[in-house]
Amino acid sequence: MKMFALALAVMLPCLAAGPEGKSVGNPAAPMRMDLYGDFTCGHCKMLHEQILPRIIADYVTPGKAYLVFHEFTLTGPGHEHSRAASMYAAAAARVGKYQQVCDALFLTQSSWAMSGKVWETVSPALTSVEQKKVQALMNDPTVAADVQRDLDLGMAAHVNQTPTLVMTRKGKQTLWSFWNDYGLFKSTVDMLLSK
Amino acid sequence: MVSSKNRILQIAVVFLRVALGGIFIYAGYVKLVEPWQLFAAGIADYEVVPMWAAKLLAHTLPWFEVLVGLLLIAGRWLRTCTVSTSLLLLVFVGLMVRAFAGGKEINCGCFGPNELISWKTLVRDGAMLAVSLFLTAIAFRHRRKPA
Repeated sequence: MKMFALALAVMLPCLAAGPEGKSVGNPAAPMRMDLYGDFTCGHCKMLHEQILPRIIADYVTPGKAYLVFHEFTLTGPGHEHSRAASMYAAAAARVGKYQQVCDALFLTQSSWAMSGKVWETVSPALTSVEQKKVQALMNDPTVAADVQRDLDLGMAAHVNQTPTLVMTRKGKQTLWSFWNDYGLFKSTVDMLLSK
Repeated sequence: MVSSKNRILQIAVVFLRVALGGIFIYAGYVKLVEPWQLFAAGIADYEVVPMWAAKLLAHTLPWFEVLVGLLLIAGRWLRTCTVSTSLLLLVFVGLMVRAFAGGKEINCGCFGPNELISWKTLVRDGAMLAVSLFLTAIAFRHRRKPA
């Protein structure tokens, strides 16, 4: 968590506006990384807290990759509150607080995913003015459309599990969803970047 | 009548051999054109071999698949070839069944990345195993016959 916040702080000068504030880095970077995750997915929490800071430090900060976040909202048992979390994150992105809300959601994932107290988790990451805006945005159909579009984009990219990183380099997409060995992932990215 | 049946069997065997060979060449090719790390990750997902072995297999197995595929089509070293494909498919199907039964949602790794193990992949690879076992039996039966 702290590492991710630190990496983001380092990145602040080059934070790009991106799609609804859900991106980090330079859009002109040689590689685009589209990360598809779900807030109730355990592996996504691990990726967000342990691996993402390394990806940002190794590839986004040096300008090698442009990272874009997508909600790949899961359904079924254990994921009953996924959609609400995705909606709050998408709404928070509209007020420039996407990363903060992501951090909050992943930090206490096991709690709200069971209790359904998503707003109680999200609200402390927002100011009172932002809280009102986000609550209003939850009734905005375009926010729901954003969440659905993310899912559709993932399906179109053949994402079939979370978290999956879709790396696009010179028009060719490579999907990665194995996170047990960062060295293997890094060698893949380095190989793709060297081409 | 008997020779007609033999002729049909011969044609069927050649057809199945070429089809299975083609599938093996394709399976090897799609892995070779992607970064080898993707296949290594796919193997590691099964959690049966250590990472060093997954990396070694990712480097070698696709080439072996292409080789046995070519030999199957060429009709050379058929006993060795068919035994190899049968053993490979036995291992593949066994691992897939184990993962599927264990509720693992992982990619099968059969024809490149991004294909989750499902009933469809199990039936497909099971059918390939049946064909391979049939070709193995034929290869050994022909071997036993006097010239």
